[in-house]
Amino acid sequence: MQEHVLELNGVSKHYGKFTAVDNISFAIPTGSIYGFLGPNGAGKTTTIRMILDILKPDTGSINILGESCALNVRHRIGYLPEEKGLYKKMRVWAIISYFATLKGMDKKTAKSRAFELLERYGLKDYAEAKVESLSKGMGQKVQVLSAVAHRPELVILDEPFSGLDPVNQEVLEQLIQDMAKEGQTVIFSTHIMQHAERLCDRMLLIAKGQKIFDGTLADAHSIIPRLVTLECQGDISAVMKSTDILGAIERFPDGASRTAGSRHWELQIKEQADPQQILQCCFENNIALTRFDYTQPSLHDVFVHLVGSEAREHSLR
Amino acid sequence: MRMIRLIAMREYAENVKTKGFWAGILLFPLILVGVFFFQTMLAESTPTRHYLLIDQSGQYGEAVDAAIRQEQQRRILQAFVTYVLEYRREANPEQTPARANAQIDQLIDDVGADEVAALDQWLESGGLNFALALATPYLREDAPAFTPPREQFVLAPLPEGINTQGDPEQIIQQLRPWLSGERSLIVDGKSSSLFALILIPAHVDEAIIHPGASSPAPNATGNGIQYWASNLTDTRLPNAIERSINSTIRNNEFIERGVDVQVVRNVQRTRMPLSRLDPRKDEGQEAVSVADTFRQWAPVGFVYLMFISLMQSVQYLLSNTIEEKSNRIIEVLLASVTPLELMMGKLFGIGLSGITTIAAWLLSFFLFIALYPGTETELISQFFKVLLSSDLIPYFIFYFLAGYALYAGIFLAIGSLCNTLKEAQSLMMPMMMILIVPLVTMTFIAQDPNGPIARIMSWIPLFTPFTMMNRAAAEPPMVDVIGTTIVLLLSIALVLWLSGKIFRQGVLRTGQPPRVVEILRMLGHKH
Repeated sequence: MQEHVLELNGVSKHYGKFTAVDNISFAIPTGSIYGFLGPNGAGKTTTIRMILDILKPDTGSINILGESCALNVRHRIGYLPEEKGLYKKMRVWAIISYFATLKGMDKKTAKSRAFELLERYGLKDYAEAKVESLSKGMGQKVQVLSAVAHRPELVILDEPFSGLDPVNQEVLEQLIQDMAKEGQTVIFSTHIMQHAERLCDRMLLIAKGQKIFDGTLADAHSIIPRLVTLECQGDISAVMKSTDILGAIERFPDGASRTAGSRHWELQIKEQADPQQILQCCFENNIALTRFDYTQPSLHDVFVHLVGSEAREHSLR
Repeated sequence: MRMIRLIAMREYAENVKTKGFWAGILLFPLILVGVFFFQTMLAESTPTRHYLLIDQSGQYGEAVDAAIRQEQQRRILQAFVTYVLEYRREANPEQTPARANAQIDQLIDDVGADEVAALDQWLESGGLNFALALATPYLREDAPAFTPPREQFVLAPLPEGINTQGDPEQIIQQLRPWLSGERSLIVDGKSSSLFALILIPAHVDEAIIHPGASSPAPNATGNGIQYWASNLTDTRLPNAIERSINSTIRNNEFIERGVDVQVVRNVQRTRMPLSRLDPRKDEGQEAVSVADTFRQWAPVGFVYLMFISLMQSVQYLLSNTIEEKSNRIIEVLLASVTPLELMMGKLFGIGLSGITTIAAWLLSFFLFIALYPGTETELISQFFKVLLSSDLIPYFIFYFLAGYALYAGIFLAIGSLCNTLKEAQSLMMPMMMILIVPLVTMTFIAQDPNGPIARIMSWIPLFTPFTMMNRAAAEPPMVDVIGTTIVLLLSIALVLWLSGKIFRQGVLRTGQPPRVVEILRMLGHKH
């Protein structure tokens, strides 16, 4: 088995003068759950379409499951597009089985597989229903199932969580984890960071068609410095001697959140540093704290930190 | 190939499940049954029409009576001929004059050749009773008794208080409530609306037009006989009256000039038979029969069938592609199959359902003929015998498939460019105009199958399937058959190749349908 199921090298795509994807390179290790993050219009869908050979890249090369073209290995890939749609008049089991047969499964196996999946993911009662009678969320679940029914080695899900209620989001997370357990590689795009945080081994962040970050969750967390917020009367120079502290900035927040006469500091601390040590240091130096705050930065913060200004600008345009 | 088959099977299965498909299949037999049964029903249900006759001249009332009697006899004669044809022991509508020997055959033939003369003969020889006596030995045992059609025009008594000798204008004024339908006539105790008033003024003879002599200037109501009726479509009564009165006037004129009326009658019924012969047929068999005429006109039917079926199929292809596009199903499909496989799958699947429709139509046609024996169906079964014995069927199959491939390719490309049917409409317009052309020229080409227009149209690939089908019975020159087939096949290959290009790029497009320049760029695109 090769080390990477998917490798992109310097891939770009232009639509006229507009650059949708700009010189992106990354590799996805076999068996991982890989998150594809980025604001709206970042180029996620275009990248996915190029990976699937629905669109041709203008430059660069793509290696997927050891082939240069996804068409040759399309039976080993499962794909859920961003915009979801199903044949309205078909029965639920029939549509799952149809897409599985298009991926090379024989009809009998495909049918029993469809019923198996529907039962496992709570849609057993709807197996004989027509697609048009399903709610949007249920339809989307059916579509996810039809994308993975043929047990593909590589599953690519474009925005699989959008439009699902929290319960079904959990079912979908379970499905992704189940597939990973069976050794399937799962790539999914999202802009909801909590899902990525819970599921992903690695993630790629793109904005405006460019790669901004590619690495593990820990790598991502290390991008923005960890902060400790202090509020106290008087000076904090004694604490500043600690080697764990990289720097301090005094803030002047609005009056309401501030105790009279106190000063407000934000300390950047080293990645390996223990915030407890700093708290202890404060006590040792008799600094009267009115507030001590330590929060682990979330992926959401990382995301906003990396693309925040751009994304806001984009959404206002 | 497996992908194409899977897609085709799904398209077919889904199409067959739609209501529209079944409506299309059932509509044809329903129309067929409708035409046959409703026609008879309508003919029988036309109400009895009451008319008034005011003859101030005292000369022509009898002629009007005779006209109406004669009209009734004409209907009886027609009904009788139909009856005899239907229940004769050995029905043979292909009879030609040379072979006719029985008097009954002569009658049938006369009706076909010259109805007026046949009617004279019929009345002279004793009408229905005589004909029935003549025909009965030749009828099948299970034949029901002949019921003559009901009288359609019945003279009604004048409403009370009308002065029939007064000024015509006054009479009309008095009768206006009946003429406009405000008041009803009472006939045999039942009320009935007045259908027509025939008013013959006292000095009507002055209005007779003689060739060469100057005729008096007509006034507002005309100088001659006045026929008052608000129903303008049923012209049988005025026509019959006009014929009958003219015949009476002419008779009077003959007598006045000392010409023997019987001689004139005989002269008028003298006729020369004309046999239509076809030089292409075997010696001794050259007489053109009904079947031959059918054979000549059958291609027109096929062109029409082809047109309807093509319209249905391509419309479905179009809406189906647009549905997949607007539902974004296309993207999932394209991750599994190539655009070309998708396109070909659709083409085959929907083509197959088109063929199913045609097959169902033909089947219902056969069933109908088998279950409903009668004069008309006798002719149709004749028609089918002709069809099956000729080479028209293979022609039709080939040109139907070729035409389908050609147009389906174009419509699939159009479908792939549009997100809604509304958008597709503007792109479809020119194609529809083109599709109409063979329909418009259909009759003309059947009459002049090897003429310059037919030949030119045959070489235009978009028209080839229709025009060549149209000409199929006329043995077009080999150059045309082979040449146009080659051009047609090449065009199909080209259209499918180019449509494939547009389809590949079009299916993933969103937003407005492209401009012409963009379509051209797509055609030039190398994948």
